[in-house]
Amino acid sequence: MSNDEVGSGVALSETEADDRLLDRLAGFSSEQTGLAVAGFAGFLAVWHVAALFQPTYLLPSPVEVLAAFVVELTAPASLSIPFTGAELPATRLLVKLVQSLYHYVPGLLIGTSLGVFAGIAMGWNTRVDSVFTPVTRLLRPIPPLAWIGFAVIWLGVNHQGATFIVAIGSFWINFYSAYGGVEGVSEDLKEVAATLGVDDDWTMIRKVVIPAASPSIMTGIRTSIGQCWMIVVAAELIVGVGVGYEILNTAQNLAMDVSVAYMLVISIVFLVSDGLFRRVERRVLEWRA
Amino acid sequence: MSDDANADAGAAGNASATAADPDEAATVSVDSLGKTYASDRRTVEALSDVEFAVEDGEFVCIVGPSGCGKTTLFRIIAGLEDATSGAVTLDGSPVTGPGTDRGMVFQEYGLFPWRTVSENVAFGLEEQGVEEPARSERVTEMLELVGLDGFVDAYPKELSGGMKQRVGIARALAVDPELLLMDEPFGAVDAQTRDMLHGELLDIWAETDKTVLFVTHDVEEAVTLADRVVVMAANPGRVREIVSVDIDRPRERTESEFAEYVERIRGLIGE
Repeated sequence: MSNDEVGSGVALSETEADDRLLDRLAGFSSEQTGLAVAGFAGFLAVWHVAALFQPTYLLPSPVEVLAAFVVELTAPASLSIPFTGAELPATRLLVKLVQSLYHYVPGLLIGTSLGVFAGIAMGWNTRVDSVFTPVTRLLRPIPPLAWIGFAVIWLGVNHQGATFIVAIGSFWINFYSAYGGVEGVSEDLKEVAATLGVDDDWTMIRKVVIPAASPSIMTGIRTSIGQCWMIVVAAELIVGVGVGYEILNTAQNLAMDVSVAYMLVISIVFLVSDGLFRRVERRVLEWRA
Repeated sequence: MSDDANADAGAAGNASATAADPDEAATVSVDSLGKTYASDRRTVEALSDVEFAVEDGEFVCIVGPSGCGKTTLFRIIAGLEDATSGAVTLDGSPVTGPGTDRGMVFQEYGLFPWRTVSENVAFGLEEQGVEEPARSERVTEMLELVGLDGFVDAYPKELSGGMKQRVGIARALAVDPELLLMDEPFGAVDAQTRDMLHGELLDIWAETDKTVLFVTHDVEEAVTLADRVVVMAANPGRVREIVSVDIDRPRERTESEFAEYVERIRGLIGE
């Protein structure tokens, strides 16, 4: 903390805050934007040229992929709502996406909650840590997908199976980020809190440990939001529904344009969810230097 | 911030002020305190037979070279560490752990970065179960006391070191401790700000009538602030001498008396 501003100091003025914003925007200067556009156009061009000399089933062109995307986006299909038996009119792409969300959202929520909880518990209490560390070390290296056999035996070839795999994936990511975050909470802040009257674990965790570890916890959640899209695709290859399955299924029928269109769906959904979470993160961690 | 309006109000121990409550300040008694750190290889005696007392409303500085155990002493009085032998008593009751009867101010400020200035000051009040609107009123009162009333919603990252420490002081005082314990609180701020904070601290002391125990390695700082200076020596950490500073406040460093005290204490430390 030696970077003391001179004198009694004044809080960052509006202009300084504006300057910072400009700096950030300047990070996206026109030159960089230009280069980014050129890079992407170059990628599409190389892809397109390469595809000219190949049949679609070996390498679909960007245009063919876009066409397939539009077809999937508009082709009517009916969406069955689980547990109700109701059918809603929708489109093919939407149906697949909703199926994937059935795996993704609950899996992410369950895995993240349990992972954050376990990470905080083990990071906070050294006895809990000692008891569970051997188990976590043993289980950690196993890829989430390796549990697919159990997922099928215990839960069947269905939504719950894929949800289970996604939950395992997000559990580990969040477990380690929460654990590391809690372990890294400065002793000083805990002592300050103790001298201000905090004398029980629960209050200390709630009012000091979790806020202090929140940057790390948020990073874990954000990482799992991304990683779980990868995991859901893999899990769906086995349970046979959703965007992930569609990527494999269409490829097996050599409809590579459709397959790539569904890959694109994953990218778009990832970019949207990551972008939304970043906004949340920025707001929640507004206090961070 | 600190208008010079009240800058000369720092005359010693004047109890007239706007003190928030009639609570008495504490007397502190440190009795043959010893602290030994033992590791596998060797034992280090950080404190040996440390003994002194602080009177009600007194401002006492503890100075000494690095390694004299002054921070260890501070932590034991704070209840953050246990003594190996001896005891610290506060108004007659032994210190067994941290508590809100002692308000702590740390060198590195120890502000909660996720809380705004006013939320930092409110922390201890929340723990004491002080409900709104009393809590906000108390926070406002404290921020006015330290001259930060314009920064209630700022986060610590937006503040300079001097301002951060003002928040630290306001937060420590908010729960109305009997003793203010400060560990090199101005060690990380520039000299100019430090001078200003000295004046403000003396004003606050006069206004709130707290007992203050202030740890520093800066002899001039100790002579500027203290009624009495506990001079410590190292290896093992012990009290060398206790010096009463009999100069009227506000004190000027240019006065010959001031220089004499500084010389004398430096001589004791062996600087």
